[in-house]
Amino acid sequence: MTQTETAAKKTAARKTVAKKAAAAPAPKKAAAPAKKKSGLAFPFTAIVGQEEMKLSLILNIIDPRIGGVLVMGHRGTGKSTTVRALAEVLPFIERVQDDIYNRTPSQFVEGEDARKGAKAIDPATLKTEKIPVPVVDLPLGATEDRVCGTIDIEQALTSGVKAFEPGLLAQANRGFLYIDEVNLLDDHLVDVLLDVAASGKNVVEREGISIRHPARFVLVGSGNPEEGELRPQLLDRFGLHARIITILDVAKRVDIVKRRRDFDEDPDAFMKKYNREQVKLQKKIQTAKDLLPEVTMSDEVLTDIARLCMNLGIDGHRGELTITRTAHAHAAFMGQKVVTMKHVREIAGLCLRHRLRKDPLETLDAGEKIERELAKVLGEAEAV
Amino acid sequence: MKIAFTDIVGMDLAKQALMLLAVDPALGGVVIPSAVGSGKSTLARAFADILPEGTPFVELPLNVTEDRLIGGVDLEATLASGVRVVQHGVLSKADGGVLYVDSLSLLDSSAVSHIMDAMSRGEVLVEREGLSEVHPANFMLVGTYDPTDGEVRMGLLDRIGIIVPFTAQNDFRARKKIVDVVLGKRNLEDTRDELKMLAGFIDAAKEQLPLVSITKEQVQALIQTALSLGVEGNRVDIFTVRAALASAALQQRSDVDEEDMKLAIKLVLIPRATRMPEREEAAEEMGPEEAPPPEEEPQDGEEEQQPDNSTDADAEEEKEETPDMIEELMMEAIETELPDNIMNISLASKKKSTSGSRGEALNNRRGRFVRAQPGEMRSGKVALIPTLISAAPWQETRKKDKKMAGRPKTALIISKDDVKIKRFRDKSGTLFIFMVDASGSMALNRMRQAKGAVASLLQNAYVHRDQVALISFRGKQAQVLLPPSQSVDRAKRELDVLPTGGGTPLASALYLGWETAKQARTKGVSQIMFVLITDGRGNIGLQSSFDPNAEKPSKEDLEKEVEALSLSVQSDGIASVVIDTQMNYLSRGEAPKLAQKLGGRYLYLPNAKAEQIVDAALSF
Repeated sequence: MTQTETAAKKTAARKTVAKKAAAAPAPKKAAAPAKKKSGLAFPFTAIVGQEEMKLSLILNIIDPRIGGVLVMGHRGTGKSTTVRALAEVLPFIERVQDDIYNRTPSQFVEGEDARKGAKAIDPATLKTEKIPVPVVDLPLGATEDRVCGTIDIEQALTSGVKAFEPGLLAQANRGFLYIDEVNLLDDHLVDVLLDVAASGKNVVEREGISIRHPARFVLVGSGNPEEGELRPQLLDRFGLHARIITILDVAKRVDIVKRRRDFDEDPDAFMKKYNREQVKLQKKIQTAKDLLPEVTMSDEVLTDIARLCMNLGIDGHRGELTITRTAHAHAAFMGQKVVTMKHVREIAGLCLRHRLRKDPLETLDAGEKIERELAKVLGEAEAV
Repeated sequence: MKIAFTDIVGMDLAKQALMLLAVDPALGGVVIPSAVGSGKSTLARAFADILPEGTPFVELPLNVTEDRLIGGVDLEATLASGVRVVQHGVLSKADGGVLYVDSLSLLDSSAVSHIMDAMSRGEVLVEREGLSEVHPANFMLVGTYDPTDGEVRMGLLDRIGIIVPFTAQNDFRARKKIVDVVLGKRNLEDTRDELKMLAGFIDAAKEQLPLVSITKEQVQALIQTALSLGVEGNRVDIFTVRAALASAALQQRSDVDEEDMKLAIKLVLIPRATRMPEREEAAEEMGPEEAPPPEEEPQDGEEEQQPDNSTDADAEEEKEETPDMIEELMMEAIETELPDNIMNISLASKKKSTSGSRGEALNNRRGRFVRAQPGEMRSGKVALIPTLISAAPWQETRKKDKKMAGRPKTALIISKDDVKIKRFRDKSGTLFIFMVDASGSMALNRMRQAKGAVASLLQNAYVHRDQVALISFRGKQAQVLLPPSQSVDRAKRELDVLPTGGGTPLASALYLGWETAKQARTKGVSQIMFVLITDGRGNIGLQSSFDPNAEKPSKEDLEKEVEALSLSVQSDGIASVVIDTQMNYLSRGEAPKLAQKLGGRYLYLPNAKAEQIVDAALSF
């Protein structure tokens, strides 16, 4: 047995956050009594308002290549509640049994074959299991060695063996990596995340070990802009940018208070009440995921998207790409096979808000500006 | 003897707040802002008296380190036993009880972040040193602080249900006297009986709490009040309702009444107010031409962005149902025993502190791991491999040592002397952006002194990892003469020949400086300092810097531009100092105004010498 495998088994056996999150999501299990308050997450479908954030998250489940969501906004508006509720509506993925990197059999074989002296493995012989898409919570106090992985301190001390112990990036592979208060994250951790997010690989070369493993994940960050700005490169990494503001509608707010109180009083009963909706949403997302490869977009729509980005003066091509992917996912979510400008309109703000050049003399809100340009592009399209 | 909860005179509102928290710990906590010597910490510590016996009460020291706060590997024990030993942090030790922080506003910002994180999860995630654990950390946070020391981060306050409004205190000597007299006359048995009674009271209230109900109209009224006070977030609604329920429970009632609602408004909503509500009659008298107070503007903006028409209409109807009641409640809550102006007690309205202090180059805690060096295990993070390497040669001799008998044979024997700790280097120093006014007749002198200052700063830049950039402005537009650099030679070369005279494109300089600052931020420089050497009299607009045919802007337009740019600079956390070099008789006060707009410092140095400028730049 290789060192990595030993370490992987050990870590898999240990109770980790990701495991906990992963164990809870199946709606059937969700009704099981929880010991701790935090054992049960508030159901996603019971969250009032904040449609932008919810839609952004769902579209990222449908197509993880959209590039994640940044959720910025007012305090106490349910940002982290919503993200943590996400785990419950996520579809399942297949992975090699107990593989800490959540790899599919073919990825597993590819990874193992690449290592020196490893024997060829037949993918068909590997046992697999279905797990819910992992959601890994990266706390602010996390150290770099826990994020990237490090040598197993226990083994090093007891037997002097330099075994690798995978970190949170390994657990997040093929899943979600969530950072609450992302704008407060230490600079060097931000650098690490940028590297990994760009390459999809985590490379650990230090303290005498040399490991590389896949680390593709959907980055979800949340925070309050008052606490500090986000570094521009990190901002640019996020596919979508959802803005959250305090709900000003009294009836909705009464509803929020009511639901929260009901949940706190009897979480099990509350979960049961929303079970059907949760399952329904989960199915809808899975259906959209299956439909996505069949969704098409006409050249006309693509041209309009390009024109919109050009008129808004957006640098690079990430804007167009993100709109295109997100619009596909949105169409799939609506159960439609053809992307129209209607889909584009719904998601353009999410895709472009953080990519507009910051102009101190601009008085127009970013959303309005996008909306205005969109109307122009649409008008032109109709005129032609 | 410790002063008991029941023996404390005055501070009734704070006492009530703590009692509500004792009844419903889900209120999250109580923050008590109050002047020095008012007895707030005595009261906070006495809170333990009214909690069930054995409830943890953990006092958090201000200088707490990250590993003590959230926990981690107990290295001494781990090294001694060869098995990973976990040390719990202060946050998880407070689980089920109270975390008390004195001088909450002085707490280190990373500690505040961890507390916020723990409070929103109810647990601590330990992801460090190979550990991956979840420790429950459901605690009530009780914090006291003196507002003159600075404010508590809003993010943290948002997770704490109750904020006792800051009220003027009696002379502390008078208070102390009261306590002394009371204590002197009392016997301990009386105190004990009273405490027992109070504890029984709270127990009964806890039992009552699930039986208390609140009507939908009452919840609506509380939310409406939150709206009219411009309180941010929806979490606060839940706290308000909880506070009203706890208040009713304390009175052994099963319905919430007006007094409960008033108390909830007073303790939860008012301290977070961002605007003063107008009485309806008063607003009508004022007429439409009266502009609303400036605090209201951002709030109005938000309302406009909420395009939900159908439900808004519902809200209007509800508003009409209970307006009198809400008005009354709110006004009464505000008026009783609180200062006239709500803005004096509201924390939310105070200036937001821009965080950031000058970073050190090398340290033991954060940044990039640079090297390992011998050190105390407690003084930093242990560099494992270097430690093991230094321990390795001694293994044979140590194993023969009789004291080591009985250890597992496979265990490495590591002594304190082997321990190496990691040294880190913080990436960023400070970027000083000099903006020198090269217009007018005094320009030559200003330029020369600025160059001297730049060169002098760069001499020391290597040590602090500082960088310097230089922007000159004259004629139509500003120009970056020296992009952020650490090179002394390059700076000297670039600055050699410089034309002077012409107009003063101040806005263009600010814009360029801001752009340069933004680019530097992307390269990881977090501290940025503008050093403006000018009389502050801009006369060229930003538009005409780019477009020669642009209309000549009015004086007002020019001011507006500078103001908007200054605001961006300030809100991006860029520090600034304006050095006014103009002779006094010419000054019309533009430079001080500019400093004010930038939220920076102003210095009047008519014959500024290079060294004085360096001192000014470094003294922030």
